Amino acid sequence: MPSLQDFIRLFGSADERTRLEMLLELSERLPPLPPELEQASLREQARVPECQSPVYLWIELDAQGRIHLQADVPREAPTVRGFVALLREAFEGREGAEIWSAPPDLLNRLGLTQALGMQRIRGLEAIYRRLLAEIKRRLAAQEA
Amino acid sequence: MMRPYAHPEVLVSTEWVAEHLHDTERVRLVESNEDVLLYDTGHIPNAVHIDWTRDLQDPVVRDFIDKDRFAALCSRLGIGNDTTVVFYGDKHNWWACYAFWVFKLFGHEDCRIMDGGRQKWIAEGRPLTREVPQFPPRPYVARDPDLSIRAFRDQVLEHMRAGRPLVDVRTPQEYRGELTHMPDYPQEGALRAGHIPGAVNVPWSRAVREDGTFRSREELERIYVEEQGLSGQEEVITYCRIGERSSHTWFVLKYLLGLERVRNYDGSWTEWGNLVGVPIEKGPNP
Repeated sequence: MPSLQDFIRLFGSADERTRLEMLLELSERLPPLPPELEQASLREQARVPECQSPVYLWIELDAQGRIHLQADVPREAPTVRGFVALLREAFEGREGAEIWSAPPDLLNRLGLTQALGMQRIRGLEAIYRRLLAEIKRRLAAQEA
Repeated sequence: MMRPYAHPEVLVSTEWVAEHLHDTERVRLVESNEDVLLYDTGHIPNAVHIDWTRDLQDPVVRDFIDKDRFAALCSRLGIGNDTTVVFYGDKHNWWACYAFWVFKLFGHEDCRIMDGGRQKWIAEGRPLTREVPQFPPRPYVARDPDLSIRAFRDQVLEHMRAGRPLVDVRTPQEYRGELTHMPDYPQEGALRAGHIPGAVNVPWSRAVREDGTFRSREELERIYVEEQGLSGQEEVITYCRIGERSSHTWFVLKYLLGLERVRNYDGSWTEWGNLVGVPIEKGPNP
């Protein structure tokens, strides 16, 4: 699976239209949610409230400290789906500690701020911030 | 017999669109969505795409494109001054109404909304395609913007001081100014929360039914005229966070209920909530 740096290089070398097309392709690769996460009670905690669309994100660290990411994003929000799929491919199965080198300005580095516009990237930034914060929290809990 | 809307000609049904799919000489279907990629996943055959950020907004100044770029956009999509332009989209036609409003700003004569939007078209099992149509460019002469349907911040301030009607169409939580103070989730977009003093809160969603279509004229009159007292005697200003949901209510008030003077404040809360020194009200009351 490509790393976050691979995605930054790939998006960075593409023009705006191609970046959007790559996001659309990624959106079609997001795997369905495992049935055990379908329960309504698990959903509310996983909701990303900053997103206009109902976006749910499950972030786990296993005993070996590896990241596991599951997500449910409606097909009617392909931009968000594509971005979540990108994060999933970049982080799934990787060492939790890798997030310390994840750039805070990921959307700029992917060239998506320009391609999508300031007002649209708020929700995407919230998803990314939640991912980083959640993994940091879990890393701290494992150390304690 | 139900009373017709004040301007029934601006609303077309999904059936009407289905019957006019190939009438591309006279009719142009325009899909406008919140999500920039949704059109690419499938759209109504022969519909072109207008994106609110990439096509309608100036990339540098916080404003719309100017009239020359608007003319170039229409021309490129094969829209002439006499073309019937039918807008539809996701999210109960928020962005369709926004694009409609921008087209009216530039004086396009024949604009319509497909009642029910993308949601209804898909629910009825009607066809979608990923094929992007190409139409021969047509000459387009844009007019100077019609600023009688747009409100700027100083006008809103004056309007507020005069006690004239303002409609805040955001959610009650946004209206009351309740911030979600969660760690790592700073409130973005505006530095202050609440609403413009005097504004009533009528969430945009009250104007639509489950299937995405607009409520009947009677139902709309009950909400906006009887309950909120909007009579059409005074000018009304609508606003939300960035001006898209409020263009939906603007459309309802102006075209479905026939209020003569309605302005959309497109600066909306992302402007007001960041302005230094302007009054803000918190809580459930205007």
